[in-house]
Amino acid sequence: MTILKVERLNKAFGGLLATCNVSYEMQIGELSAIIGPNGAGKSTFFNLLTGYHRADSGRVLFQGKNITNWPPHKIARLGIARAFQVSNIYLALTTYENVRQAILAQQKKTLNFFTPAHRLAKSEAEKLLEVAGLSRHAHMVAGNLSQGDKKRLELAIALGSKPELLFLDEPTAGMSREETYETMSLVKRLNREMHLTILFTEHDMAVVFGYARRLTVLHQGSIIAEGSPEEVRSNETAQKIYLGEDA
Amino acid sequence: MMRYWWLGPILIAVLLLPLLIGEFWVHVAIEILILGLFAMSFNMIFGYMGQLTFGHAAYFGVGAYATGLLLVKTAVPLPICLAVSMVAAGIFALIIGYFCVRMTGIYFAILTMAFGQLLYYIIFQWYSFTGGDDGLQGIVPPEWLISASAYYYFTLFIVVAALIVMWFISESPFGYTMRSIRENADRTRFIGINVRQYMLINFVVAGMFAGLAGGLLGPFNRSIAPDLCNWHQSGVPVFMTVIGGPLGFFGPMIGSVIYTFLFAFVTGFTEYWPLTIGLVIIFVVLFMPGGVLGLAQSKLKIMGAKDLAPEEQESTDTETY
Repeated sequence: MTILKVERLNKAFGGLLATCNVSYEMQIGELSAIIGPNGAGKSTFFNLLTGYHRADSGRVLFQGKNITNWPPHKIARLGIARAFQVSNIYLALTTYENVRQAILAQQKKTLNFFTPAHRLAKSEAEKLLEVAGLSRHAHMVAGNLSQGDKKRLELAIALGSKPELLFLDEPTAGMSREETYETMSLVKRLNREMHLTILFTEHDMAVVFGYARRLTVLHQGSIIAEGSPEEVRSNETAQKIYLGEDA
Repeated sequence: MMRYWWLGPILIAVLLLPLLIGEFWVHVAIEILILGLFAMSFNMIFGYMGQLTFGHAAYFGVGAYATGLLLVKTAVPLPICLAVSMVAAGIFALIIGYFCVRMTGIYFAILTMAFGQLLYYIIFQWYSFTGGDDGLQGIVPPEWLISASAYYYFTLFIVVAALIVMWFISESPFGYTMRSIRENADRTRFIGINVRQYMLINFVVAGMFAGLAGGLLGPFNRSIAPDLCNWHQSGVPVFMTVIGGPLGFFGPMIGSVIYTFLFAFVTGFTEYWPLTIGLVIIFVVLFMPGGVLGLAQSKLKIMGAKDLAPEEQESTDTETY
């Protein structure tokens, strides 16, 4: 079943075509990746899908619903969450408060004026921290976390929204090899066990080929190749443009 | 609750105050409470939401005029006047806030100030309704509140009740949503929160508390003047909050104690009040950037400031995990 359908999406910044006629489809339960060199338009693509940028033309359909150019909060409420490339967390709040905020928003409890927040969403927040491997840092101020833990928290916040579709923008950027492995194993588990549909971007080829079941190669805003890791690996255009330089 | 042991002695002292000091200082204490509530409402926008409003006197003034006009022209009982003050200020905050929450940072500050000045000039010019620059005279509180100490207890009751409500709001999911908007508005959008709408709600609630504070002022002074809405008056809660500390719940109230007391004390023997407060502000900004409460918190770790400024507190607590 199709969960996401993108039709001929376009976005230009001044004269620069950041997204050029991109059509893309995802089925429920997929774990896929978008790859491409820096400036290929990966982040812009995510930004268009999540309402951060407005598309110039084209359509985005989520579960058959046209969500093109909806504001970010509405898209998030539908069940699309994202984790950012540069960890985008609440630096002055504790790790626990960070994930609780996402859970409270998901439970639509943020207009509650009179119940102390510390009494709400307790078990959900604790469980989520455990899943993300952050329990021991629960009461640490997020700004004091290590880079890797900040990225994990970023992912945990996205999961707090209980999404059906999850976008991860370079989820392992800045992580050590071990942290990368742990994070990607978690991503895989989320996909397998919780049937979360996940799309991620990545420039570490080992990660991409090790975890994604379908790859899409983006170059100068356009899709130039698509298919299983093996297919993409043997695709000549893709090799020339991207893999030739890096892998 | 052991963290709040210090509230007990303070409450007893505050209750006994009128028995211990002369009438002049009771008047000062009433002013501390009223302006403290005003500054606390300002800090809902400044400290919690992270936006500097420089037009908060507008809602203080609307509240003052609502109660003042009702007491002068009708026989409505004071508690109802105060409720009307809150609603009236809330309506103005809704209309003005609708435009202001589209901006952040310096543009938010300028826009709130511009709307505040607009309101000031309307009140200043509208002689037939507001009394113009003559203000409103003869705002007499009901018989049972004529004495200074009676009005003190009445104000204390209202202000404490308001602070309790504000405390609950600050600890509620809504309060944490305000912190999350202050910390990272973009992130907050992507977890499904309509940031503008929440900012507007907070703006209205803060305006209502400012209106309540304003309502208490008229019967206390027996008169009000349009200057209450002027931008000087908007600066008062800014000063108080900077002195007391914006990142702790009670910061603005502590700022009001210091500011209002100093004002009463200093103007008793010199006319150089602006110079004095200027020096105080410079001292605070240079040597205690977190205000008095920030200083007390880093030294004593009390006063319930943990949730808003967790950096110093939590980092030391968690080093041994």
